[in-house]
Parts: sequence; structure tokens; C-alpha cells
Amino acid sequence: MRFFSVNDFLFILAATRWTILLSLLAFALGGLLGVLVAVLRIARFAPVRLAAAGYIQLFQGTPLLMQLFLIYYGLSLFGWRLDAWTAVTIAYTIYAAAFLGDIWRGCLQAIPKEQWEAGRALAIPYLPQLFLIILPQAIRIAIPPTVGFMVQLVKATAVASIIGFVELTRAGQLMTNATFQPMVVYPIVAGLYFALCWPLSVWSQRLETQMQVENASGRRK
Amino acid sequence: MQVTVRHLAAACAALFAVAIGSQAADAQALDRILKDKKIRITAEVTSPPFGILDKDNKPTGSEVETARQLAKDLGVELELVQVTGPQRIPALLSDRADLAISSLSITTDRAKTVWFSSPHGALSIVIGGGKNVNIKSAADLAGKKIGMTRATLEEQVVPKVAPPGTNIVFFDEHSATQQALLSGQVDAIGGAAFLINELGKRNPDKGIETKFTVVTAFYGIAVKPGNFDLLQWVNTWVFVNKQNGVLAKIYKEHTGVDLVDLPNL
Amino acid sequence: MTYVFQFGIVFDQLPLLLEGALLTIRLAATAMVFGLAVAVMCAYLRTSGPKPVRVLVAAYVEGIRNTPFLVQLYIIYFSLPALGIRFEANQAAVVAMVVSFGAYATEIVRAGVQSVPVGQVEVGLALGLKRFQIYRLIVLFPALKAVFPALASQFILLLLGSSVVSAISANELTAVANSLQSTTFRAFEVYIVATVMYLTIAVAFRGFFAALYWIVFVRGRER
Repeated sequence: MRFFSVNDFLFILAATRWTILLSLLAFALGGLLGVLVAVLRIARFAPVRLAAAGYIQLFQGTPLLMQLFLIYYGLSLFGWRLDAWTAVTIAYTIYAAAFLGDIWRGCLQAIPKEQWEAGRALAIPYLPQLFLIILPQAIRIAIPPTVGFMVQLVKATAVASIIGFVELTRAGQLMTNATFQPMVVYPIVAGLYFALCWPLSVWSQRLETQMQVENASGRRK
Repeated sequence: MQVTVRHLAAACAALFAVAIGSQAADAQALDRILKDKKIRITAEVTSPPFGILDKDNKPTGSEVETARQLAKDLGVELELVQVTGPQRIPALLSDRADLAISSLSITTDRAKTVWFSSPHGALSIVIGGGKNVNIKSAADLAGKKIGMTRATLEEQVVPKVAPPGTNIVFFDEHSATQQALLSGQVDAIGGAAFLINELGKRNPDKGIETKFTVVTAFYGIAVKPGNFDLLQWVNTWVFVNKQNGVLAKIYKEHTGVDLVDLPNL
Repeated sequence: MTYVFQFGIVFDQLPLLLEGALLTIRLAATAMVFGLAVAVMCAYLRTSGPKPVRVLVAAYVEGIRNTPFLVQLYIIYFSLPALGIRFEANQAAVVAMVVSFGAYATEIVRAGVQSVPVGQVEVGLALGLKRFQIYRLIVLFPALKAVFPALASQFILLLLGSSVVSAISANELTAVANSLQSTTFRAFEVYIVATVMYLTIAVAFRGFFAALYWIVFVRGRER
């Protein structure tokens, strides 16, 4: 019987970098797509708004595992020969974009109407209004919930283990299989996730409190 | 830069072109593999002794070594595509792998979706459980909880022989099924005899043993339907390595058992 | 190579899929009821309990919220038996879901509790009510009303997150879809149908919660 050794712990630790890489990729790419989604979501053209709303509803209203299965298996129908990393990254990007788009849409809508009106009064066209006046203010509000979502994203990458994608959780499964000691392995895996997520959670809460203090005191940086 | 409708239209057109263009790439699988100097073969690392992680946590096992030998004989680099049991065939069908060498038993059901080569190995599916579980034949399965992995031969055959009152539960992959047996979540599992022996050896205190054999089967290499050229080469390779004893050597080295006579497909 | 969609194969197995969907709903609903009970209790302990208890509850909440549900599930199903605690698949699923939902709901309910005007609590104290009575009679109702939408959203997340319990052999909707996929190899059709079913269930629950809100918090209070 093979006991859990340092080698096995290092294997699990090494797999953590895949979790981190996937999370970063999904966050960066999903963020780019999410900006598009958020902007389209508040567009003046109704069909575009509805399409964006539909996208958000679809990917927020269905299980991530289903999305993974569909994209992992389904994209091949277009003749694309995608490796596991590409398929999984695409799936998590689409997932992240739906949530980030929704969060950022909320932040955009939180900017008072008056800001838009002031821009219109100065004869500034729509897109510069959006990017020069509204967006900078919305970004400030958006930071706490965005950091909060980063935590969700890191946890969500665990689901990819079910399709055999090698990241932290899958490494745990493989080590459990090799050593037959789930009592040792899975708590270690949980601990590593905690080490990744908790700092982000604390940061998000701190940002949230900071923002509340600023708003309450009426002070703007 | 302002994102206009024109930009979006161009992006869509580009995407569309990529989608259409890549469909033509499927034409000659063997040619493509030889041109790219790389072949992608599935590897299931939680299915001892066919596919495991060695003590350095690198993939090995009888099927993985067979894959290595095949790639070497073809003169190309091997890329192992790690899959779980239920993904062996989908990985093939979705072009994530060129060949599936992961103890895929040859069945007529599977033959509806993949093309098999002549068999290169044999296994038997058994019910395995701890010493204290009383199962001597299929009839004893009633009232017990039997675990097995999806998309395997045992998933197909065990329900047919199990009497009513048997509670069969399915896991998404081998490691979960094995864990379930070892942690006592199921009374017994269906699986390859080699697997049960391996579990027995690695956990002497649990006393896992084969209870009875359900079926024996040959397994082969699978290709995606349409890849005639690849299938033809693989069949030739299996033939040659049957004759020169290489297949038997790899098999014996990992399973400890002599390879039986393999018929042709 | 063109792909021929064959939804017929999937629709033939609709009864099996519906059975799976029913189990999904039952598991989620059970988890929500017990999870809410846990949350109400923990929110109280977190705000009004003695310091060690408050720390314990905070540890529970932070521990759950910073680790993936799937890993918690594996620990409950695979790791606990080593300590002699053995849940069978569906039970383990509910336990994991209660533990998970309980943690998130605790934070939500706590936010609700803290949003109740302090004046209300003071009235209770003036009337000589004990802390827990104040919580139960005065604070809880407005707190829950305030955070009801957040709780409803969290429930939908719970419902959708339940699809991973298929990994420990619970036979809910995703598990049925997986089995169907592994026998028919019609991955695309199977998962599309399953996804539509999840979407429908989620939409139905949203409607149910909207109705529940109106019945309990709006109409029930108009006297």
C-alpha cells in the first residue's frame, strides 16, 4: 500500500497552478467579453438589449457542469479540433462573462441618470459618454463584487475535474486513487482552495466596507 | 476605437470562415498524423493495470505502454490525452484524440459509433468485493448495492445478469467507483478482474476478491468512423505485433498474465 | 463530416429524465428547508451568541464559502466513512447541500438581521423579552422579508450546483443524462435536453418564490 508521501503532496500542489491559470484566463477573457455584454445590456436598441439579457439568463440559469459538457462535446460538431484546455477555457470564459456582465451592468445602472444627461447637454455622443463619463465611475463601484466573483470562479474550476481536466480537484482524485487515503487528501485539497480564495474574500469584504465608508461620508476620491 | 456594427460583422465573418475551413481538415487522418509528426491517444490513468500513474505520478500501464509502442513504430511523437472512462469514445468522436487505446471492449453497441481494430488484448468482467460480503453468483446480488463506472462493459452486462432487487449505482469514473468500494459505500463493484486483483493487492486489510466472472471480452483500438487509412495501419500494426510477441510482452508485464490467442476482427 | 441530430433517442427516455429531474427538485427543496433552519440559527448565534460560538460560526461560514462544493461533497461521501460516518449517495448529497446552503444563507440572513432598525430591538428589550424571543418574534420576519430575493437567488444557485452530485452516484437529472450519453453517445442532444429541463425548473422556482413572497410578506401582512 502506498502511503501519502511528500511526492504526492507536491503533485497536488503542482496541479494548483492549473487551477490558478484557468481562473486567470477565464477572468481575463471573460472580463473582456463581460464588458461587451454589460454595454450591450444597457444599449438603447431593444433587440440588442434582449439578446444580452438572454445570454446572461441562459448562462446564469443553467448548471455550469451542463455548460461544460455541451461545450466540451458540442464544439467538435463544427469540425473544430480543440484540445481540453481550449475547450474548458472557452466554457469558463462564457460562464464568467455572463456573471461579470450582469454585475457590471448593475454598476453601470447605478450611475445616476443625471450623469448621462449632463453628457448629453454637452453634446457628447453616446459611446464617449459611456467610456469617458460613466465607465470610470462604474468601475469604482464594480471592484468589490468583481473581486467577490473571482472567488466564485476559482471554486467553479473544480467542476472541470469531472470531465477529467487536470486541476487541483482532479489531482486530489488521482492521489486518492493512488494512496487510498481520502481522509488525508481531500482536506488538503480543501485547504489549498481555502488558501487561494480566502485572501480574495477578505480583500473583497475590505473593499466593500471601504466603499460604504466613502459613500457614507459623502467623500469621493 | 469605437466598436461599430461593421467591426462586429467582420468578427462574425472571420469566426464563420474558421468554422467552415476547419471542416476540410478531417480528410486523411493518417496523412495528417504523419505530417504533424504527432499522434494523440487516449490514456485512462485510473484503470489499473491498463492505465495508472506510477510512483512518480507519470502515466503508465499496459494500454499506455501499447500506445507508446504504436507511436514509436509509426515514427511520430505521442501526446497522451487523459480521459475518464465515459470519455474514451467521446474524445475520439470530438477529435480530441486520434486513437482510443484504453481497454475498450469490442461490443456491437459501441461498433455503432466507433470502428474497432482487431483485438489486441482480453479481459474479464467480474464482481469484486470484500471478504465479508457474501456473493457467490449473480443471484446473490439481490439486495446489495453494486457500484460501477459509466460507459464501461460492466455497465452494459451486469444489469443484464443482476436479479431484481439489486441496487446498481453509477460513478463518472473508475477512481470514484474504487473509492466507493474501499470506503464501504457499496457492497461490491463490477470491473475488470485485473482491477479487482490490483485493489486486493493494494489493500490487504480489506480482503477484496473476485466473487464471480460475468463475461470475458476482447478489447481493441478504436478510431473515429471514416478514418479508413488510420484503421488499416492500426490493424496491420496489431497483426505484426501479435506475431512478434511485443503485445504479449507488454500485456504480461503489466497484468502478470499470459495473453490468450487473439482472433482477428 | 456532418452530424445528424437525433433528438428522438433522447425523447424516448423522457420518463427517466423526468424522474431524475424530480429527484433534483426534491434534493434541492429538502436542502433549502434544512439549510434555512441552519442559517436562521447560525445568524442568531453569529450576532448574539457568546464569543467562542461566534468565532465557530464564522469559521464554518468562511470555510464553506472559500472551498468548492464538489470538494466538500467528496469529503462527506468518501472521507467521512474513514471516521465511521457513512452516508449513502443521496443522503450525502443533501447533507453537503444543507451545509453549503446553510453557510451562504447565514451571511444573507445576518445581513437581513442587521438591517432591522435598532429601535425595534429596543422595544423588545423594553418589553422584557429575552434575546432569542426578540429574534424570533420581532427581528426574523422583517429580516427575511428584506433578504428574500437574495435567498431565492441563492436557492437557484443551490439547484444548479446540485448537478455535480452526480459525481458521487446520486441519480438526479445530470446522472441520468450522463448514463444516457454513455449508452447512446448522443452527447449533444442529451445535454441540450437536460439543460432545457434545468432552465425550466429554475424559471418555475423563480415564479414560485415570487408568489411565495407575495403570499407571505405582502398579502399576509395586510390587516
